[in-house]
Amino acid sequence: MENHSGSTKQENRGNGFISKQLHNPIVQIGLGILLLIILGGAGYGLYLTQLSPPQPIQFPHVKHVSMGVQCLYCHPGALRGISPGLPTVTKCFGCHQQVAKTSPELDKLVAYVKENKAISWVPVFILPDFVYYSHRPHIAAGLNCENCHGEIGQETIVRLQNMNMGWCLNCHRTRFKDNPVMLTKLTDCVTCHK
Amino acid sequence: MSRQISRRDFLKVTSAGLALAGLTGCGPLSRYVTREPYTQMPEYTYNGLSTYYATACRECPAGCGTVVRTMQGRALKIEGNPNHPVSLGKTCARGQIALEGLYNPDRYQYPARRPQRGSEALSPITWDEAVSLLSNALTSNQPSEIAFLFGLTSDHLVDLVTEITTALNAPTPLRYNAFETVEARATLADVANRIFGISAIPFFDLANADVTFSFGANFLETYLSPVAYARGFAAMRQGHIGKRGYLVQFEPRMSQTAVVADEWFPVTPGTEGLVALAIGRLIAEGGGSSIPAAYQDVDVPGIINASGINESDLRRLTKIFSDAGHALAIPGSSALASSNGLEAGESILTLNALVNNLGQAGGVFLTPDLPVHADNPKIPNKMGELNDLIQRMNSGAVKVLFIHGVNPVYELPPSLGFTQALNQVPLVISFASFPDETSLQADTILPDHTALESWGYQKILTGADRPVISGLQPVVAPFYDTQATADVLLGAVQAIGGNLATAVPYTDEVDFLQQSLQGLITTRGFFNTTDILSFWQLWVKNGGWWNESAGLASPAAQAALTSSLAKSLPEFDGEGEFYLMPYFSTLLSDGSGANKPWLQETPDPTTTVVWNSWVEINPTTADRLGLVDDDVVKVSSPYGELEAAVYRYPAIRPDTIGIAFGQGHTAYGRYAQNRGANLTTLIGTRLNASGDLALCTVKVKIEKTGKVQKLARFEGQPGKYGIP
Repeated sequence: MENHSGSTKQENRGNGFISKQLHNPIVQIGLGILLLIILGGAGYGLYLTQLSPPQPIQFPHVKHVSMGVQCLYCHPGALRGISPGLPTVTKCFGCHQQVAKTSPELDKLVAYVKENKAISWVPVFILPDFVYYSHRPHIAAGLNCENCHGEIGQETIVRLQNMNMGWCLNCHRTRFKDNPVMLTKLTDCVTCHK
Repeated sequence: MSRQISRRDFLKVTSAGLALAGLTGCGPLSRYVTREPYTQMPEYTYNGLSTYYATACRECPAGCGTVVRTMQGRALKIEGNPNHPVSLGKTCARGQIALEGLYNPDRYQYPARRPQRGSEALSPITWDEAVSLLSNALTSNQPSEIAFLFGLTSDHLVDLVTEITTALNAPTPLRYNAFETVEARATLADVANRIFGISAIPFFDLANADVTFSFGANFLETYLSPVAYARGFAAMRQGHIGKRGYLVQFEPRMSQTAVVADEWFPVTPGTEGLVALAIGRLIAEGGGSSIPAAYQDVDVPGIINASGINESDLRRLTKIFSDAGHALAIPGSSALASSNGLEAGESILTLNALVNNLGQAGGVFLTPDLPVHADNPKIPNKMGELNDLIQRMNSGAVKVLFIHGVNPVYELPPSLGFTQALNQVPLVISFASFPDETSLQADTILPDHTALESWGYQKILTGADRPVISGLQPVVAPFYDTQATADVLLGAVQAIGGNLATAVPYTDEVDFLQQSLQGLITTRGFFNTTDILSFWQLWVKNGGWWNESAGLASPAAQAALTSSLAKSLPEFDGEGEFYLMPYFSTLLSDGSGANKPWLQETPDPTTTVVWNSWVEINPTTADRLGLVDDDVVKVSSPYGELEAAVYRYPAIRPDTIGIAFGQGHTAYGRYAQNRGANLTTLIGTRLNASGDLALCTVKVKIEKTGKVQKLARFEGQPGKYGIP
């Protein structure tokens, strides 16, 4: 009996201790600061994920597009296949040995050409392995690159876009809301998850 | 109350914060991936589209044609070549996973010298140094002191080295690997030689047979040409000949082939040939005419007694076999790799002669030679010949040993003493791509390209309905500072110059290949050209060359039934209680698959065990010995012992235990080493009459160790997840 009551007492004391401490303003302020730090860190982390990743060369899409270079000139695979592909160093230098030869970023390109080394680009948009995505039908349907990739023509590195399933489906549903056959096809699971 | 709620809220907010922090961790993961485009794109590729290359698989000796999908210079996927007569668009698991050889992180990445044998430390050398080292090795020793040991090596390299050794007057290269010897292919070729007069591996036309008796031939997993036979089996089952084919399997342990067979007879190990003999005798008795000499003095009751098959079954099977329109008997590894393997093979092949299926649809065929170095030996060497090499090494008669495509320190039974013999060789040069046990004992490593980076050809010994030669080509540029062994050797030959360079006049590997293939230009194939360069284009495009239409040679076997067949009982070494049934894992096979994690994690087809070794014991035996699943037992034979966990396998004879090859590496990279047990420690040195290793001739003891090792298995286990 004594033991039992003793243990109950202890539990009470324990509960009392925590709740008492929670009422202590210093602890409250401390906890508040801790919470703010965690939330702040998390927010900053989230912000980081929304930044474009650092690239070996800060490639200015804006300059190229404003000079009239078509997207498909460097990424022709989008027209015919799954992946748009990345231009070879030879292709970059094909133009750049003639035009705009000097800038700190272009010096990096020259170095790659001299060493015949591939540029390790960091992909901005990555779909998970369980998603089957092909560029070709989207280009064939008359979409512009900007529809999904944002205003690339006005940026240096592409800005991140949240490409989740809802975002894909939203577009499929809107575009084909009057075409039940296509709507069924393009909202079917196995269309993308095959 | 309000206090409690505030605490809960506090916890909620905190966990939400932690979840957010967790989320942020997921985002930038993708940033660790980079994409490297070509620096200069080959003109036949198109940005963003895959490029496909036809090549051939080198994971086993079957030589299936494959097509590899590549994207921007990286190999992505291997599939069968739909036009190739062996694979017809299919591959096995090992073929698919060959990619992991290319991308393996443990590959040798540069030529190097090993300051101390057995140590992993390497000091890099240049390829120029390597070439001068080779030319030194070839000139500073007597020709008889040079030895080449090959394994799963592309045929072109063997042909090239045979030319070099002939020019040097050195011994011809020896070709051995566990694949060919464990399945006793040389014995099978000897059997064919005795019965048909031609030393070749027969082709069994499974697709058109309506009744097939397989005597230990595990043709769905590893035997001879598993992709071709799996396809033949499917055709047989789907009734391409008008009815569903019937398969009967005789072997002590149920393999994947026995699993799909209509009937399985677990005969006593080593009596497969005797059962074939009894079936032949009973057929001959029922035939009415006089009994052929081959079956004159067959003691059927004695065989029934020895094999454990009962008489009514035997008579029923005899009737099934003799009534069949196209009956076929296939000798397999457990029959051929016995002490009486040569006789067993003869008895089984003679059964085909008895039902007259030689050269008939659903029968036995021989594959004719193609005019590509046709004089060179194509059948792998026997263990007896390897023993001779080991003796020469031991006596100091071998001063330099070149090893390519084989890992004898791991694959050979330690009782043969190869490792000790290696210590007597002053210079060992390995061309290995991976840090395997043998290359760890080599003084110099001159890494060859892996198969997907290599040129070559593979002569198809069996597996297709026509003569075929598979062509290999690089599907990607070499990843590391490796060199084709053929190029390195030719470099050495040119450095030596003189008569050798005149006798071996090739500028490089591709030149050698083109000159070797000259003979095919004038042979009628499914493509025909008049000059080698046009031939080469089509050869590379199609992944090889084959005859336009199906057709193989019919073996003649007049002598088969006229001479008496030997009928010795199998002999065994060791006093143990249990027969040891060593078998090839369809995934790890000779152990070369063990460094590929996809193969390690693919469940074994019968037991579903992954990443480990196991001992298959019949549950009745296990109950008698008080063993449950995952108990570790010590298995000992007169030659050695190993420890592995028990798997209670109902589909094995109670007096037999089964262990698979492939695990128990002490080197060979991060995925392979220190995992499971090496079966070869139990194997002895007994040879069969053909001179091949008689693998299934060991009796072993089992002792409980008291240790437990949980095997990772895919199947449900009693007591877990509600399974009773």
